[in-house]
Amino acid sequence: MSFNDNLLIVIAASAIFYGTPLVFAALGEILAERSGVINLGVEGMMLLGAVSAAWVATNVDGPAGVVLPLALLAAMIAAGMGAAIHAFLTITLRVNQIISGLALTIFAGAAGLSSYLANIWNLGQAPIVNQFNRLDVLGLADMPLLGPILFHQTLLTYLSWSLVIGASFYLFRTRAGLHLRSVGESPQTADSVGISVAGYRYFHVILGGTFAGIAGACFSLSIVPTWADGLTSGQGWIALALVIFGFWRPDLMLVGAYLFGALSSLGFTLQARGVGISLAVLSALPYAMTIIVLVLVSTSSARRHLGAPAALGKPYEREER
Amino acid sequence: MSAITRFGIRLEPRPDRPRWLVWAVPVCSFFAALLVGAVVLLVTAQNPLSTYLRILERGFLDQGALSGTLVAATPLLFTGLCAAVAFKIGFFNIGGEGQFYMGAIFASGIALSYGDDLPAWLAILSMIVAGAIGGGIWAAVPGILRAYFKTNEIITSLMLNYIAGIIATYLIFESESFWRELDGTGAVFPKGKVIPLITWWPNLDLGSLVIPFGFLLGIAGAVWLAVLQRRTRFGYEMRVVGGAPTTARYAGMRPSRIIVIVAAISGAFAGLGGAADVGNFRHVLDPKGLQQSGFGYAGIVVAALARLNPLATIFVAVILGGITNAGYALRGPDFPSGLVGTLQGLILFCTLGGEVLVRYRIVRTASTSVAVKAAGS
Amino acid sequence: MTSNGLAGAATAIAVAAFGVSKRFPGVIANQDVNFDVRVGEVHALLGENGAGKTTLSNILTGLYRPDDGHLEVAGLSVEFDTPRDAINAGIGMVHQHFRLVPTFTVAENIALGAKLPSERHIPNLREIEERVSELANRFEMPVDPRSRVWQLSVGEQQRVEILKVLYRDAKVLIMDEPTAVLTPIEADVLAGTLRSMVDQGRSVIFISHKLGEVMSISDRVTVLREGRSIGTVATSDTSRQDLAQLMVGRTIERVERRVTDVPASGPTVLEIAGISADGDRGLQALNDVSLHVRRGEILGVAGVAGNGQRELVEVLAGLRARSSGTITVEGEPFDRMDARHPIHLGVAYVPQDRLGTGLAGDLSIEENLILKKYRRRPVSGGPFLRTSVIRSEAVALMDRFDVRAPSPQTPTRQLSGGNVQKVLLAREMSGAPKVLVIASPTQGLDVGAVATVHGLLLEAAEAGVGILLVSEDLEEVRALADRVAVIYEGSIMAVLDAQDATIERLGLLMGGSRDAGDKS
Repeated sequence: MSFNDNLLIVIAASAIFYGTPLVFAALGEILAERSGVINLGVEGMMLLGAVSAAWVATNVDGPAGVVLPLALLAAMIAAGMGAAIHAFLTITLRVNQIISGLALTIFAGAAGLSSYLANIWNLGQAPIVNQFNRLDVLGLADMPLLGPILFHQTLLTYLSWSLVIGASFYLFRTRAGLHLRSVGESPQTADSVGISVAGYRYFHVILGGTFAGIAGACFSLSIVPTWADGLTSGQGWIALALVIFGFWRPDLMLVGAYLFGALSSLGFTLQARGVGISLAVLSALPYAMTIIVLVLVSTSSARRHLGAPAALGKPYEREER
Repeated sequence: MSAITRFGIRLEPRPDRPRWLVWAVPVCSFFAALLVGAVVLLVTAQNPLSTYLRILERGFLDQGALSGTLVAATPLLFTGLCAAVAFKIGFFNIGGEGQFYMGAIFASGIALSYGDDLPAWLAILSMIVAGAIGGGIWAAVPGILRAYFKTNEIITSLMLNYIAGIIATYLIFESESFWRELDGTGAVFPKGKVIPLITWWPNLDLGSLVIPFGFLLGIAGAVWLAVLQRRTRFGYEMRVVGGAPTTARYAGMRPSRIIVIVAAISGAFAGLGGAADVGNFRHVLDPKGLQQSGFGYAGIVVAALARLNPLATIFVAVILGGITNAGYALRGPDFPSGLVGTLQGLILFCTLGGEVLVRYRIVRTASTSVAVKAAGS
Repeated sequence: MTSNGLAGAATAIAVAAFGVSKRFPGVIANQDVNFDVRVGEVHALLGENGAGKTTLSNILTGLYRPDDGHLEVAGLSVEFDTPRDAINAGIGMVHQHFRLVPTFTVAENIALGAKLPSERHIPNLREIEERVSELANRFEMPVDPRSRVWQLSVGEQQRVEILKVLYRDAKVLIMDEPTAVLTPIEADVLAGTLRSMVDQGRSVIFISHKLGEVMSISDRVTVLREGRSIGTVATSDTSRQDLAQLMVGRTIERVERRVTDVPASGPTVLEIAGISADGDRGLQALNDVSLHVRRGEILGVAGVAGNGQRELVEVLAGLRARSSGTITVEGEPFDRMDARHPIHLGVAYVPQDRLGTGLAGDLSIEENLILKKYRRRPVSGGPFLRTSVIRSEAVALMDRFDVRAPSPQTPTRQLSGGNVQKVLLAREMSGAPKVLVIASPTQGLDVGAVATVHGLLLEAAEAGVGILLVSEDLEEVRALADRVAVIYEGSIMAVLDAQDATIERLGLLMGGSRDAGDKS
């Protein structure tokens, strides 16, 4: 047994592997919520992304280097379209954001469009051949300690890292990021200096949707890689909790995502090692931890200064007269 | 300053809401949803007309179809009331699913421990109470967390759905619990114990139509809720807390306490649905069946379509129950399982969008006047 | 083309409106408004609440498009599709309710908006901070560009708003009721700032309904009434009385000073002794406040907004915890933080935020009228509400307090400001209170409603209710109160008898200067 089979290293490596879809989904939701729009449709958008990616991966012929990017693109477009429905309903028609987001998840979710499409496309018959495999980056995968954790992940993980860095820079260093945050904090202020509130909201809700699509593709092309209805098993909702946990910051969210990735993977890892903990307890752990963490975060005094965007959930309309 | 003539739409609040509009808009939204659904079906190479006709036949018109529809409508009615009462005060309980499971677990537990020597009515009553308590407790948790720790109830109630599902699965598949059948085939293929015949809920047989007792119980629940909301002090407090929490505190109400009570009532409705599922229909704790049905999530659709009105919930539950029933009956290669959920989602989207027409008038923003333009250039 | 560009700098027109009209559903907000603002002048837009001043400023800043008429900037016809167009045309606005992001720093707030040609794509905050400091020094408006806006005082926030406009090099500044949040001294400083801006070739549009400051600050005045522009006059050619006449369209009945007939030794109904309390941010907002109100007396509490008034009334209403001190109503103490207790003891409370706190906007008038008595007979019987009793009581109260609404079932959100306040007063007075705590009772109301509300308050005092009147409007406090307490940074600076409460003394006390108070 080599050093890298050490339990902690295995858990850390799989935490990143299982946390990757959470990073994408939560990062997308951070962008949407920073603009002031809650999108509870994450789970539904992820499933739309997962099913579209699965279709491309099974039905398009070609080398993996062509098929997989196409699959990701399809996932982003499908989930982005789902997000666009939510954007139209909540931004233009001022429908309650919570109800609209739930509607999106019901529409697209495990018993909705994603299942319908998977059925008529005959997915789920066989495992998906084109998958994102773990890479051996710079030949360092076998390096002790850091090898399996940092250099033996799929391309999706490296993509998620670059998106987190990019989003942090965008949010806190660029003019557009400043404008985005002002739209979420005080749309009246943004409007009065000529920033298009609706424009920023549409763009970031849809962009967030495309990220959720990638998160869904992580499941159908990497983690599960076959089709099963509802294969995301509520990870979209955990992503929503991670946004709160991370105080709407990409960097803090990343930490949370890997914590939950570790919890999700704990079941398989421990079972494989024959550790005698009930499967029920292990599988309930991520959900129970989400509740506990949310309670801790919502009672902590930090919330006062690092809290939600002030206009989150509120439709914006110019006051009349 | 731009020379392009811009036009767009703007929403203006309606000063008055004509009565006919309040009825016409949901009906039109419903048909709009069918139209969009038809596009989805066409794109995916299905015939929309025949699909809809078959839903209509198998859901409502065929011999015995309506009885089956009431069976499908019963859980939707309960989970619809669950969402309606909670959403009305701004408590977004989307844990109806898990509360439904807990109701089923509690009610089946009581039924299984029942001897043959007690009267049937007591058995049914105790199942009702147990179901309500099971669901109520499961919903009170997010209620308390929201009221006293300001924790987002949407996520907590949803996480509890998964935990309830894991508990139910554990009881039947991963343990040798009281709920599990350990004799006969049950020893090999895990399944739940069937509850004693005496605890089975009755049906009201009208010849061509069979009405489950659970559905009647649901109607009674809806009427009770309507009276509670419109005619009582507590209903008044719910309206103030839901519409204006600051004002509620100002008037000396206790919003936290009201939220917890309403959360528990909401969960109790879902729990009753779970009890009805065990008592009236399945007669067994069936974790797989429960989780595949997704009654809790569908209840949100029901409540939203009924505009959170308890009496309208009955009507909507029957309509969606019909679609669900037809979905069961028709399930097969050219009627895939996700279709019902897709249609429900579309109906919900269209109704939400349509509701805007009740509240606002859509106004074309004035295009620019040419004369002024000329003066500027 | 109506350009005055050739007429020389002295009379060059910075911005002008020609026949501007704007209609909202059921309301004509602006009708054929004409006026012009010269380069280098302070031009006042005078009108009472609801005269259309805010709509006009929203048209000038590109938030609304006029239905008819057009605007000209520097003689050229312009059309603003978005606020950005107005900003690009050199028009900037300082809103009455500041348009600032509280969690951002001063510099971030100022940087918000389109990139200036001189700026980089990736904003360099250090650079922006320096430019803000420079600008602040030039116009003598000291503010730290790195502090977060929520940490600033109201006066400092206003400076940020002005700097924001100057940073974009606006030629025309629109100031909407800028003195409403300032002490008289701060207002004088602001007047100086405005003067220095017009001296540097900018123009200021000064929106106000206060005759005094319009007379002292502006060069010319355009009067708006019922959405129309009545006329423009040079300030030097007019008087307060003439302007008042123009503004209201009739002679104003001034609220009569009330003859104090309350014996100085009358029984005390409300006794506040040494209360301290924290504000929302956890900082101390009230510091050892002691006051008393006698039967039938109106005690005014004057002060600049944000000096602890809100916390004071909330403590009295049982909505905010206090860290020390006692409150007694006719000798009975209440000590728990519980809104039911003061209601039970006979403390009526009309909050400043009428629709957000005092009423449930989505609920009907009749439902709002029972808000404080729904637990008791005859409104409720057992767990049920008695609809017929509620209906008949609502009809009676609406009649007595002259609430004008289509029916008792009308949601209160649809009522005008005056009727909202009448519903509130109807409910609070119908409970036969011993004490009435009322905050900013006439803010945002039109002249007619102001008179009605003042009448109701005097009537209540006549009937023996002890009234604690919190208001930022000094004229109102002086007109109604028997005694005036001045609050500054959570402490009571002094309590003056009405005849000693001159604007000058109150102004000094409100600014935190104790000298004036010590004399009494």
